[in-house]
Amino acid sequence: MKITVDILQVLLLILGAPLVRGIIARMKARMQRRQGASVWRPYAELAKLFRKEDLVPPTSSAVFRLAPMLLFGATVCVAAFVPVVHASALLASGGDFFLLVYLLALGRFFLSLGALDGGSAFGGMGASREALVSSLAEAPFLLGLVAVAILASRADLAGIVAWTLQQSIFNISAVHVLAFASLAMVALAETGRMPVDNPTTHLELTMIHEGMVLEYSGPRLALIEWASAIKLHAMLALLIGLFVPWGMASGDSAWGIALALLLYCVKAGILMVLLSVIESAVAKMRMYLVPEFLGVASAVSALAVIFTMLAKR
Amino acid sequence: MQMGLMGASLFFLLSVLGVCVPLILIASHTKSARKLAISLILTASLAGCAAAVLGFLRQSPPLLDLSRITPFPFLLVIDRLSAFFLLLVCAVAVPVTIFAVPYFDLHYSEPRRNWTWAFFSLFLLSMIVVVTAATGFAFLAGWELMTLVSAALILIEGDSEERRHNVFIYLLMMHAGAAAVAACFFLFLPYSHGLDFEAIRTASATIPGPIRTAVFLSAFVGFGTKAGLIPLHLWLPRAHPIAPSPVSALMSGIMLKTAVYGFVRFAFDFLGGGPWWSGYAVLLVAAITGLLGILYAIAEHDLKRLLAYSSVENIGIVFLGLGTSLIFLANQAPLGAALALVAALLHAFNHALFKSLLFLGAGAISNATDSVDLNELGGLQRRMPFTGAAMLVGCCSIAGMPLFSGFVSEWLTFRGLLAGSSLIGTKAQIILPLMVGILALIGGLAAACFVKTFGVAFLGRPRSAGAEHAREVPLGMRVGLLLLGACCICIGILPGLLLRPLVSLAQVLIPGAGVPEETLSIARIIPWIAAIVLGTGALAALLKRRERLARTWACGLPELSSRMQYTSTVFSKPIRFVFARAYRPDRTVETLPADQPYFPVSISYRSVRTTSYERVLYRPFVEWVVSLAHRLRRLQTGNIQIYLLYIFLALVSLLTFLRFQN
Repeated sequence: MKITVDILQVLLLILGAPLVRGIIARMKARMQRRQGASVWRPYAELAKLFRKEDLVPPTSSAVFRLAPMLLFGATVCVAAFVPVVHASALLASGGDFFLLVYLLALGRFFLSLGALDGGSAFGGMGASREALVSSLAEAPFLLGLVAVAILASRADLAGIVAWTLQQSIFNISAVHVLAFASLAMVALAETGRMPVDNPTTHLELTMIHEGMVLEYSGPRLALIEWASAIKLHAMLALLIGLFVPWGMASGDSAWGIALALLLYCVKAGILMVLLSVIESAVAKMRMYLVPEFLGVASAVSALAVIFTMLAKR
Repeated sequence: MQMGLMGASLFFLLSVLGVCVPLILIASHTKSARKLAISLILTASLAGCAAAVLGFLRQSPPLLDLSRITPFPFLLVIDRLSAFFLLLVCAVAVPVTIFAVPYFDLHYSEPRRNWTWAFFSLFLLSMIVVVTAATGFAFLAGWELMTLVSAALILIEGDSEERRHNVFIYLLMMHAGAAAVAACFFLFLPYSHGLDFEAIRTASATIPGPIRTAVFLSAFVGFGTKAGLIPLHLWLPRAHPIAPSPVSALMSGIMLKTAVYGFVRFAFDFLGGGPWWSGYAVLLVAAITGLLGILYAIAEHDLKRLLAYSSVENIGIVFLGLGTSLIFLANQAPLGAALALVAALLHAFNHALFKSLLFLGAGAISNATDSVDLNELGGLQRRMPFTGAAMLVGCCSIAGMPLFSGFVSEWLTFRGLLAGSSLIGTKAQIILPLMVGILALIGGLAAACFVKTFGVAFLGRPRSAGAEHAREVPLGMRVGLLLLGACCICIGILPGLLLRPLVSLAQVLIPGAGVPEETLSIARIIPWIAAIVLGTGALAALLKRRERLARTWACGLPELSSRMQYTSTVFSKPIRFVFARAYRPDRTVETLPADQPYFPVSISYRSVRTTSYERVLYRPFVEWVVSLAHRLRRLQTGNIQIYLLYIFLALVSLLTFLRFQN
């Protein structure tokens, strides 16, 4: 039974990911007084891309062809770490947050290599900027998670979520607030959202992620887009699971899980509203302000780690 | 002479590498003689691997006592720690030797080739002696031989003025380090019967506190010089890149690890942990070394210099683990100490594999394109698919990507640091978890650095005629590369193979340690992750549609040129910009002619990096030494009466000294 729930969680993260994108795009459109496309459009786009032929640059090698598969595989594996409706995950035993962060890095590593293999300036530009952002984002990402892990004295995500579930909602410490702040900032940088990267732009001065995928088309592009949607969804689920897990099913009765699913949708909806407000209200930062943004995130997460000393007593 | 079968095999190893191979090579210049010598080196390396594995499993460590035929006590013992490092030396030596056969054939003509092989063999011998020595004299003899032979191997490649200068700096710093290492041994002398390791171990329980501190510090400085800890790393980026590639692989891959071995031997085996602050000192130096090492590496565009700096970074990660372990030891937490020590030793092993792989790859590139400047490479993956695949594995491993070897040891280091939060002391509780941030930054920058390295060298379009016409390297070189690559993947997916013996080694060094849960869980989970990632990737590959070649988007221009690609220098510019304070380059812009600044005929721009150590630390020291020497010169007047006076004064002072001592 438990394994069924775990597999269902992974499927929810993977198959629901395009919907998250669609909803955010729709919300943003409404906030900007546009009609906006249907929330189901990302599925249609993926289906369209999967049917199309693949265009490959003549100078590229096997790395260009294999990178999207590895990115997709690594991102799916990340989804298997994150608890959604139940305080457990498919890779709960031994699968800790260091693995999660480094699996994301593995996908990014290969995507950057694929970008460089196109042989154009755009790919190099995107990869170079991504290298800057991701190398600076890794420290606050891990430190924020370390702070929460110290409180729970566990390192596996499911264990941390289970520990948080047992605490009272009114018992939130400063550590949680600080860690949430830093992880939210990191999530914006990791998933390439505003104000770090603009997911809708194709202007060479501003793009990071879009620059990297410029040479991809057809099924490979579909895999990359799907993977980045899964990453966004997994980050949302991670934030929910770590900081507001209350309402997750504790037993494995079908009703409890259905209720937890409903609550998850509400919580995710609130986060998506927040994200679209930020994306509509904030302009994209200059490239060299991003290190400062991530520097603030690092400082906040370091404070969170230091405050664990006080919270423990 | 007391020796069993294992001792005999060790004797065989020494005599083959130290005597037979050099003699054969010097006596005969025929091709068959060289073939015989090379196959002897390979046999000896394989025998070394076997001896290491068997020595590890044996309860009583095998030993070889040569004290009767040497002028000083010369005893070799393969205990668990030695066995592990012996395996490291011999396991890396095999693929490097296979690679070196075609490499030396292509690069050197007849007499030099034989000399190179002779020194190559002696170099391996010296490292084997260092890691198995069980007396101070044997250790120091091996240590000294290692330095001298590697310097000779660098000089065989050529003897330009610059090269001699770099070798001079190398030798100078190595001897300063060797003096500190010798001091470690001699500090034990008043308290122990001799300098064999057994006596030192028993004496270390009785020596007073200040002496312990002195031993620890001089071991840290002495072995830190050899390991290349910042600011004692100055020689490393000078000496490693100019050696022939297989020798660079041995130097970066193995020779640095002998320093790790020495430090572990002293700090853990002899002293059983240093003073309470020792762990923090090691941690601080290691963090600086790791961070600055990778920052310098990412700024380089000469592949071999980049790899040398990345060795500095990886040594930083190894010492991060060792420092963590020392902190745990000082807090009486053997379990955490064992975890961090296993992480450090595993990272040392992994680094030996992937760094020698990357240096061999650099050799293959220079062989195929006559250049190791990243800005002149590109597009090599299509031209050299085997070398490219092996290099990709090496780059993923060194960047700490999951499913490759480097990740396992970095993960263990992370978990060791995280476990620090459960210690009792407030200092350790805060500092160790915060170090996770530093290690994450190092890891992130390393990933950026090796995306750049592989992406610029192997992907995209060729940036020079050399890269355009590159051909795949000969079979022997490919075999060497692929062997090392296979080892990296094997450890990356099945880390349990090495972790189990390493835990039992840590239990020997740290009495009372159990089996850290983390070492079991990583070995359990990684194969599953590999299955999910690769399985999903393979499933996704099934969705493949028809493929069509189409020109890269060029914004409507007729054709892209290779000059439009990002080069290594441009790729790293954002990171160099953000961390500008770490570099502080000496920039000089010269405009000619000088009196017409607005109508220049030519502008030359020069930027030299990483000279701040020389400016701030080394230059003043050297000037002080030189001025001291100048002042001391006044003693040397050349006047015979003055010298007689010196002798007389020396005699008088000695007599007074003796008088007062009784």
